[in-house]
Amino acid sequence: MNTSLLQQVLDRNTRIDESPVADLDVNFGLLDEYSKREIRRAILTAVAVPGYQVPFGSREMPVARGWGSGGLQISLAVVGPDDVVKVIDQGDDEGVNAVNLRRLIVSSTGIPESTTPEDSTLIQTRHRIPEDPLDERHTLILQVPVPEPLRGVERDMRELARMHAEADYARMWVSLYEDKVRNGVITRTTGYPCLVNGRYVIATTPIPRWDVPRLHQSRFLSLFGAGREKRIYAVPPHTDVEPLTFEDVPFEVEITPGAECRSCGSSESFLVEVPGSTTDGGGHWVCSDSDWCRRHRERRQHPSRGDRS
Amino acid sequence: MNTPDFILSCRGLTKDFVLHTIDGRHVEALRGVDLDILPGEHVALAGSSGAGKSSFLKCIYRTYEPTSGSVVLRLRSGSRVDLTSVSDQEMAYLRGRDIGYVSQFLRAEPRRGPLDIVTRAGVSRGMDRVTAREAAAVSLKRLNIEEKLWDVHASVLSGGEKQRINLAAGTISAPQLLLLDEPVSALDPANREAALDLIGDLTSQGVAVLAVFHDIEAMERLASRIVLMRNGRVEMSGDPDMVLDVLTQGARV
Amino acid sequence: MNSEWALKVSSLGKIHGVPDLRALEDTGPDVGTAKSSLTGAIVAAWDVGFEVTPGEALGVIGESGSGKSTVMRCIAGDQSSTTGEVFLRSLDHGRTNVLDLDPSARRRLRVADLSVVYQDPAEGLRLNVTAGGNIAEALTAAGWRHFGRIRDRAAELLERTEVPLSRMDDLVGTFSGGMRQRVQLAKALANEPPVVLLDEPTTGLDASVAAGVLDLIRNLLEETGVAAVVVSHDFAVIEMLTTRCVVMNHGHIVEAGLTDRLLEDPHHPYSQRLVGAARA
Repeated sequence: MNTSLLQQVLDRNTRIDESPVADLDVNFGLLDEYSKREIRRAILTAVAVPGYQVPFGSREMPVARGWGSGGLQISLAVVGPDDVVKVIDQGDDEGVNAVNLRRLIVSSTGIPESTTPEDSTLIQTRHRIPEDPLDERHTLILQVPVPEPLRGVERDMRELARMHAEADYARMWVSLYEDKVRNGVITRTTGYPCLVNGRYVIATTPIPRWDVPRLHQSRFLSLFGAGREKRIYAVPPHTDVEPLTFEDVPFEVEITPGAECRSCGSSESFLVEVPGSTTDGGGHWVCSDSDWCRRHRERRQHPSRGDRS
Repeated sequence: MNTPDFILSCRGLTKDFVLHTIDGRHVEALRGVDLDILPGEHVALAGSSGAGKSSFLKCIYRTYEPTSGSVVLRLRSGSRVDLTSVSDQEMAYLRGRDIGYVSQFLRAEPRRGPLDIVTRAGVSRGMDRVTAREAAAVSLKRLNIEEKLWDVHASVLSGGEKQRINLAAGTISAPQLLLLDEPVSALDPANREAALDLIGDLTSQGVAVLAVFHDIEAMERLASRIVLMRNGRVEMSGDPDMVLDVLTQGARV
Repeated sequence: MNSEWALKVSSLGKIHGVPDLRALEDTGPDVGTAKSSLTGAIVAAWDVGFEVTPGEALGVIGESGSGKSTVMRCIAGDQSSTTGEVFLRSLDHGRTNVLDLDPSARRRLRVADLSVVYQDPAEGLRLNVTAGGNIAEALTAAGWRHFGRIRDRAAELLERTEVPLSRMDDLVGTFSGGMRQRVQLAKALANEPPVVLLDEPTTGLDASVAAGVLDLIRNLLEETGVAAVVVSHDFAVIEMLTTRCVVMNHGHIVEAGLTDRLLEDPHHPYSQRLVGAARA
């Protein structure tokens, strides 16, 4: 990289935030080119074999394990100078972890950030897919704590590898059967197991059931990164993603009848419950996707304004 | 010359046991038996114990493997097979279809009721379940097995009842050849009467019967021919009256 | 008569240790041992062959160490064999040697072509899964995806094997030995395999319980028309369940024949000893 370009990057970094990283001589995207290459190769393999967990050389990152290091490595490997990044944690751009991760990405690349999916190209997330429809411009990068969908039924690594290799998911089906027998319904919430491209079963961890249908035949690319477990997997655009369920047990998303967001009044977005304090008693609901909520509220208040979502 | 259409034709049948567990000695059970049986004939085997009567039946049924000789059976289809040389699987098949065997001992079937046992015997003979069940019911009634016992596990029934079940199972769906080894030994007079009646009916249906009976009365009543055996051979064969005369004379002497 | 075998085994052999054929020279029933002093290897089984037709149950009798369990495990795929051929009619019309298949292909056979009922039910079941769930495992492996139908079929099988339906949702680990064996039978028959191997199916059960399980097996064999191989050291079991059998000693088949013939007119000296001891 020539000096003037580096200077531009550093200038931009200084303009955007005051992170001390801006003063250091870092490679674009923090990672060295060899690291990026290895991660990109893992990503390409993952995209070529949808749903297959590709092992990769997960590095020690400036975030601790369990805080999104996997998603971060993917983001830093794919990011380019023309990207715009959005980072959310549980749908919120302003959560501490989202802010930290976004700052790290921005300061090591100098690219702009946004909270609006419409304006973004890279979206790194923990636990949610943004409410706005995403398309070919977007790459969704999901932080994954446990990439192995079969972990609940099998511990042995070799046996797990065999089960995936032979598409022998009988024990997963048994656990779904037992779940339904014991509880009347299949009770998994986040990390619902899905069959990708008719071949591999993935853990959709960490998104809620609400977001699972968004993956099916999506227009956007989804990349899943597990830093601690050292695995990357992918759901390419226009790929079948079917939640595992019995033919006669429809896959259901979380719905609380009558619940509405207290901020924007929406009952069509994914809502989370805010527990009440000891003084005012009952809790209330708000949209999980804070940015979407804000825009939805604005539209309701000023319907004449151009619709930006 | 026209060869009569024998159901069973034995030639030179011998059976030699080699007892390896006792210094390898030989025991000759049959020393060359010839016998022909026509359809509808009831041939009774007579002779003192050890004469080879049961051994002969078992050699035909292949419970014993004959040492030499031939046992030619005419099948329902008309073709003939030598039972001494068919494969085990073929023999198992023939036992189910063409040959019936009723011994004193009920095969180990502890938890089935009489109706079930006899019905299954019919099904294995090729009858459909419904017909077999009906025939089984008829047979059991005929042999005086009360209906209330039809679902009782056979293991708790008396010796006489078990023997009659055996007979019903062995005679359901008349086979080509029926081998009987003391089939009424444990029956009281009334039940014996019913059993002998049933057996007698079979010969009138064309079944060839080869039977070992302990008592002379039964032989007199059923047999169209008596074969007297001694020391593993046929000593005499002929008209029942004639043979029985000889027998009883021999006893008096 | 259906002379088309469902299972054919030919020249099956298993040598533990150096696969040197010299071991055959000083092992076998005539020598009286399965261990070779020439090579140190153990000839667990050699030159074993038989055929089983649908609806037929073949017995494999032998004392412990006879090689009967080895034969069973080699056919099942639980153990690798040294030599031999195993054919299943349901696989490529019996033209492919099952022993040549790779492990994952052999595992697939265990879904619907070949089932095994083990002496220890824990080997064929998952104790931390319900009775219905164990059967569901077999069904889902075969592609069943309808919860209601899976449950109906599981209930049907459990009823057939006389497991109280009230226990369908209980963990198998809470069942008695006899009840576990019944669940194992239900699971083994779930996908209607043409061939079933039973290894000492009632050994280890209390006598009264064993009698019930034996009856059940007899009924199931008759009604399903499977081709069965019953491995046992117990003559009562062989007599109850089989029409033909083979006698094994020190890894070899010493005699074969109709079951009642073998029990009443054994020829081979070892068979005579075995039958004599059983009858005593």
